[in-house]
Amino acid sequence: MRLILEVWRQESPRVPGRLEAYEITDAREEMSLLELLDRLNHQLVEENQEPVAFESDCREGICGTCGIDVNGVPHGPENNVPACGQHVRSFADGDTVRIEPFRAAGFPIIRDLIVDRTGLDRIIQAGGTVAVDAGTATDADTLLVTHEQAEAALDFAACIGCGACVSACPNGAAYLFTGAKLQHLALMPHGKMERGKRARSMIAQMEHEFGPCSQIGECALACPAGVPLSAIATLNKERLRALLRRKDN
Amino acid sequence: MSSPTPAPPDRDPIPQAARPATTPPPWPQTWILKVIMAVTGSIFVAFLLFHLAGNLKVFLGAEDFNHYAEWLRTLLNPLIPGSGFLWAFRGVMVASLVLHVYSGTTIWLRARRARGVHARKFLLRRIGSRTMFWTGLIILCFIVFHILDLTMGKVVAAPGFDPGDPYSNLIHSFSRPPVAIFYGLTMALIAVHISHGIWSVVNDLGGTGKRLRNVVFAVAGLIALVVVCGNLAIPVAVQAGILTVG
Repeated sequence: MRLILEVWRQESPRVPGRLEAYEITDAREEMSLLELLDRLNHQLVEENQEPVAFESDCREGICGTCGIDVNGVPHGPENNVPACGQHVRSFADGDTVRIEPFRAAGFPIIRDLIVDRTGLDRIIQAGGTVAVDAGTATDADTLLVTHEQAEAALDFAACIGCGACVSACPNGAAYLFTGAKLQHLALMPHGKMERGKRARSMIAQMEHEFGPCSQIGECALACPAGVPLSAIATLNKERLRALLRRKDN
Repeated sequence: MSSPTPAPPDRDPIPQAARPATTPPPWPQTWILKVIMAVTGSIFVAFLLFHLAGNLKVFLGAEDFNHYAEWLRTLLNPLIPGSGFLWAFRGVMVASLVLHVYSGTTIWLRARRARGVHARKFLLRRIGSRTMFWTGLIILCFIVFHILDLTMGKVVAAPGFDPGDPYSNLIHSFSRPPVAIFYGLTMALIAVHISHGIWSVVNDLGGTGKRLRNVVFAVAGLIALVVVCGNLAIPVAVQAGILTVG
């Protein structure tokens, strides 16, 4: 099938970018959007042009490396699916597909479709870790966690850190990302020990680079890991808890 | 020993603006502003419901309505003499309004900054949340108009304003079609504003339970509907000639 791809091209962070149109005549329905970009790059290399720079790694929805904006929607037209799991079959023959980098002031463009998502890493560095001695592998069985609690924590631990929530948000907020990590660790025995300290530092770090939440809900629709929208409420819950308790745990 | 070769300068460094991690976070932090908005907003919603209950007394006739208005002025007498309670209440409302508007504007400005130059297009779904600032601004103008019209009787009030006869003032004001239309439109905007606002309260105060969130979402829509329908009934009744003076 034939598709027109309008792709964002930008040589470096300093120069202005622009959309460029390319035609693909041999796209197949079963191709993922990343394979579509691979196809485009083969074509560009054959024509002696610079290939489109984009990020990808596992291509099975678990790594969070890929991230593109397709027709104004993070990852692509299907809700809760990463770009690697989105397929050409979502489009009709002859369609124009606009492919842009993730958009947010907190995600400056590095090149073409690659954005700098280290702002999310800095939120994790601020406290999204367990800094207590959790022992060795055999010690895991000394602290029992119920199945229900483990499942609840996993719903939020599922976040792959792709940044789609920030890009989906008209406010450029990272509430779903930060809230998911706070909720995940607050439900686990080791994570609980630093619950208050974590809420204070991660939220302060988040506010450096990302916007405020307005309960719009676009983030939860885009999230490829299906993190529930209640993560945005977790953020204020954990911060208010830290304010009232005035303790590190 | 040879000295280490200096690293070549990075030709395409990431703009420094993207790495503000060492600067202090914005003050006041957004979560504080959101909590302020949730608390003051809840005060306003509670006020709206009491205000609606009082307004609907207009259907019981002039005597009931005016008696109720007088009761409001002398509320908690003789514990608090004169109009003491009324003025304390007005103080709380003005303070809440200032905090609400300041927080809302600051959040709106921060959101615009964080959106970046590569802005997301306007999404029609969840239009309530996208228009909070603008509906809020119109409601603010309406509050000024409403107080001048029916409380102070200045500038925009209908001719023949009598501070001792709120019933007639209300009928005269709503007999003017432009005022009735402006009032009706503002009620619709208030419904949009508070339906999203009440839903935001549960998020801002940290309500994560599934049932709580579903209940508040439904209640938000219900309260908005009650406020808009109840208040709209009054100008409609005046225009239809059901409510008249005397």
